[in-house]
Amino acid sequence: MDVLSLLLADSRFPGGGHVHSGGLEEAVARGLVTSERDLPPFLSGRLRGAGELAAVFAAAAAHAAARGVRSGYWLLLDAELDARTPSLAQREASRAQGRGTARAGRVAWPSPVLAGLLAATPRPHHPVILGALAGIAGTPPRDAARAAAYLAVSGPASAAVRLLGLDPLSVNAIVAALAGDLEAVAARAAASAGAEPADLPAPGAPALDLLAEAHVRQHKKKEVRLFAS
Amino acid sequence: MKAHARLTAELDPASGRTRLRELRSMAPLTLFPKRGGGTAQVHLVSSATTPLGGDELTLTVRVGPGASLRLSGVAATLALPGSHGEPSSAAVHLEVAEDATLEYLPEPTVVTARARHTATLTASLADGARLRTSEVLVLGRDGERPGGLVTTTNVTRGAVPLLRQRLMIGDPLLDASAAYLAGRKVLASEVLVWGADPAEAVGGDWWSVTPLAAGGTLLTVLAPDAVEAGARLAVARRHHPGWTPGCHDPVAPVTDQTVSPRSGNP
Repeated sequence: MDVLSLLLADSRFPGGGHVHSGGLEEAVARGLVTSERDLPPFLSGRLRGAGELAAVFAAAAAHAAARGVRSGYWLLLDAELDARTPSLAQREASRAQGRGTARAGRVAWPSPVLAGLLAATPRPHHPVILGALAGIAGTPPRDAARAAAYLAVSGPASAAVRLLGLDPLSVNAIVAALAGDLEAVAARAAASAGAEPADLPAPGAPALDLLAEAHVRQHKKKEVRLFAS
Repeated sequence: MKAHARLTAELDPASGRTRLRELRSMAPLTLFPKRGGGTAQVHLVSSATTPLGGDELTLTVRVGPGASLRLSGVAATLALPGSHGEPSSAAVHLEVAEDATLEYLPEPTVVTARARHTATLTASLADGARLRTSEVLVLGRDGERPGGLVTTTNVTRGAVPLLRQRLMIGDPLLDASAAYLAGRKVLASEVLVWGADPAEAVGGDWWSVTPLAAGGTLLTVLAPDAVEAGARLAVARRHHPGWTPGCHDPVAPVTDQTVSPRSGNP
């Protein structure tokens, strides 16, 4: 694992990821996650749905950036991730984080490939821009996928500490226990990285989609929420 | 058992009615035409206990330009294991031509213990085509844990992907996870590519109507049983601005407490 993938997976990376709880805040508000005991199943479900999807597209984007694809490819990848994200709330959360990551990326790692991606898709999905930044720097698809999958669980885990006052050491141990699953997700994502965009896997998770939609409704009702998603 | 059933509907320009040009059943998939109006109606009957482990079932439905077809199931399907644990698969291919309409409405699929079933649905739509298709998955019979099911949905309009989803059922951890299936017994979903889509997502506890990025709408319901799932789906459908039920589709009188808390004087 290189420094770039450490940077991208760091919660202090200035991409705006810290304002997203990945559905955890809504789950807490509904009493679905109330204690440390509820966290592992929530994170596992998140990893196998949203996390796996993010890993698949991060790996594909890293593979594409490394081989210097034409800009038409980014449009195709964007449309394919849209089709795999039926929840409007999830699409908007992904593009909001993508935008933050793109801003940080433009300053840190300017390149013609990045310029081409942002010209084709000015509001990229988060996994795509994450994977592309990795690929531009020569980071392998598997590392990009691992970073995306890790972010899919580390964000909700730290949100759980803030929202429920859980013991940070226990929560850290819960995330650490996911290491094997994270590696498996990254390996599967790397295996499909070179596939045609239409043929990429499309893992979904209906409950998470419904939580994301409910979270947005609560925002609109001006219910107090700490996180954007 | 391997079977491939085919159904082709075409518009008869003289009468303006849809005619069934090809209706090829193959056991255990039996297609029964019904008398109808301008829309052709066909019932799909699974004529044996199916899908059973080892089964490979394929159904291909083509609706020609301007034609209108409704294909509905008549009884719930039980996905059952084979005697030696063989997997089963069912593939449905839907092709809907320009300005044609297809409703594909199978009855619920019950994933029984130890089943290993793969379901795929591929829908290719031309410009102006309308599609309504639903899927209701029941995680095991009463008191039963579900076997394994992988279900994949692909809906495209021309070269544009509208919806691609793959779901796995039967991993106890994921079935129970609040971030996956939330411990609910029934997952119901419906794709509507049918006129105007909602501008915003609409929903309540464990149901939503969400516009897809490139057109079309997905209705999703998680419910404790199939009856509530169906009722919830009917409520969700009423929030779709483009949906116009045909004359053969009476709107069930479902109360909608989540969205319309009161009626009467404003």
